[in-house]
Amino acid sequence: MLEVESLTVPAGRFRLEEVNLRLTQGECHAVLGPSGSGKSTLLRAILGVLPCAAGRICLNGADLAGVPIERRGLGYVPQHLGLFPHLTVGQNVAYSARARGVPSAVFQPHLDRLIAATGIGALLDRRPGTLSGGERQRVGLVRALAGQPRLVLLDEPFTALNDSLRRELWWLVRELRSQWGLTILLVTHDLAEAYFLADRVTVLLDGRVAQQGDKAEVYSRPAVAEVARFLGVETLQPGRIIETRDGMVLVEVNGTQLRALDVPGLSNEVLVNIRAEDVLLEREPGSPAVGSARNRLRARVLSIQFGSPMVCVKLDAGFPLLALITRSACEELNLQPESVVTAIIKAPSIHLLNRKPSSAPATPLSRSANAVTTRGV
Amino acid sequence: MTLRGVSIASALGVLLLYGGLILSLCWFFRGDALRESLLSERTLFSVRLSLLTATLAAGLALALGIPAAYALSRFRFRGRELTDTLLEFPIIVSPAALGAMLLIFFNNPLGEWIQQNAVQFVFGVAGIVLAQFVTVLGVAVRLLKASFDEVPVELETVARTLGATPRHAFATITLPLARRGLIAAFILAWAKALGEFGATITVAGTMAMRTETLPIAIFLRLASADIESTVAMILLLIVIGLSALYVTRRLLGRAVHA
Repeated sequence: MLEVESLTVPAGRFRLEEVNLRLTQGECHAVLGPSGSGKSTLLRAILGVLPCAAGRICLNGADLAGVPIERRGLGYVPQHLGLFPHLTVGQNVAYSARARGVPSAVFQPHLDRLIAATGIGALLDRRPGTLSGGERQRVGLVRALAGQPRLVLLDEPFTALNDSLRRELWWLVRELRSQWGLTILLVTHDLAEAYFLADRVTVLLDGRVAQQGDKAEVYSRPAVAEVARFLGVETLQPGRIIETRDGMVLVEVNGTQLRALDVPGLSNEVLVNIRAEDVLLEREPGSPAVGSARNRLRARVLSIQFGSPMVCVKLDAGFPLLALITRSACEELNLQPESVVTAIIKAPSIHLLNRKPSSAPATPLSRSANAVTTRGV
Repeated sequence: MTLRGVSIASALGVLLLYGGLILSLCWFFRGDALRESLLSERTLFSVRLSLLTATLAAGLALALGIPAAYALSRFRFRGRELTDTLLEFPIIVSPAALGAMLLIFFNNPLGEWIQQNAVQFVFGVAGIVLAQFVTVLGVAVRLLKASFDEVPVELETVARTLGATPRHAFATITLPLARRGLIAAFILAWAKALGEFGATITVAGTMAMRTETLPIAIFLRLASADIESTVAMILLLIVIGLSALYVTRRLLGRAVHA
């Protein structure tokens, strides 16, 4: 469907470098990255707004070089939606058909189905300025889909909304996607949004692809420390491998020993990644191991932060360790600052990265990232 | 004195200055002279000529100014900065100098060829339109550019993803959204052309019943020490100009609430 090959796009002082991206029909792919990482630049290059210095963008096998924006077959929902303020909602959503000269009899049935699916029927005579945030998003989506685009580009369209409204629209996008078989390229800095909507993700950092792959894989096994930090890995500590045996490694982190799965290509100096939700807590020290949990660490509670819906427990396990537990679990364990607990971490839940980038092959970030990821467990 | 007091006093000072100048006309105001002047064939000719030439000049300024201002607002091209700077050229150079430059141009081979084979500008009505057009073009483009700057480029991009060609997106999105600025640019260019004197007199001269616009009529009557007729003509110019500005405000107000 969409193939982006070695794309380089200069945009002022910024430069998108050697980006590769591949979307299959019906896929939702999220491009994740902090502000200024090049997400929108990539989208604007695909749209045809920014010229490419090198590389290719192909849609259904056809090279888009030189193809004007209006003939690319793209649906676009920008961050601020770009609703036409002087037109009614009805005129906004019918703009595509009118601009292409499509007869009403041809486009109206499809448009009517979209309007019914998104519930904007009562808004058609209103101007965008009179709509609520959620209504505006729905209109923006319907307008982008009205022309039956081959690929839908979403540029952080839900950023300005509150949490509940945002989740409501995520569900709507999922329904529209399954109903119409949409192929979507979503640009966002919101991890929750990307993980709710996308099948696969690409992490962009400083204009380069830092990691790419299945969302669960990228989430649990960041390829480099920068990706781990961006993805919010709560515990990221330097360690040293002191023993390798039977597919397992023994890592020392500030005097504490942890067992983790061995990953080919690791040097001795590693970064230990532990997700807070992968840390289980027990009140009774010395209770038997549960399932495949291999690491039982005696830890002291430093502080407890009540959030919604989870509780974040900051521990001293010889090194700073964060655990995310439910509120009821917190009450059941009767956790207090200075409480002593046992932190249980399964070995497969501990992800190891080479600490020094120089230990990785001297290739662009994207290639070294992919190399470690594909060799991951 | 508070900031509010100082600023309101300044605003009232502006009113006092211009209001005082208008009121001072009353010293020489005579009803019968006014009636006689306004109804004379010569005055009606001046009014018709001024309205015609100002409308043509403002229309031409918009016809060239709209695409030029759009280019300055949207595109990066060689000569853009210089063009943008030269928009202030008619303000920096006095109208008389502008008129003199036009006269000099028509004494060059190209200008002479245009005069002989296309349109007779010097000492003709076309010369008045040209002088007014050259004077108001820069201001018109500046106002139009500001209007286009206010329309987000993203709206055009979205329109194009929806299948609109650049021209269709311009006609259906950019122009309607910039309409307030377009109306304002036309009326202000028109009002400025209506009162244009220096360039007009240099290019078209002061021929009664031929190139006598309202400002030139005022000049000619003042030169012949006919103060009452001068006052009548000034009042006429003020009424036409202020009416145009009033209509503009009403139109813009309606556009805002549309």
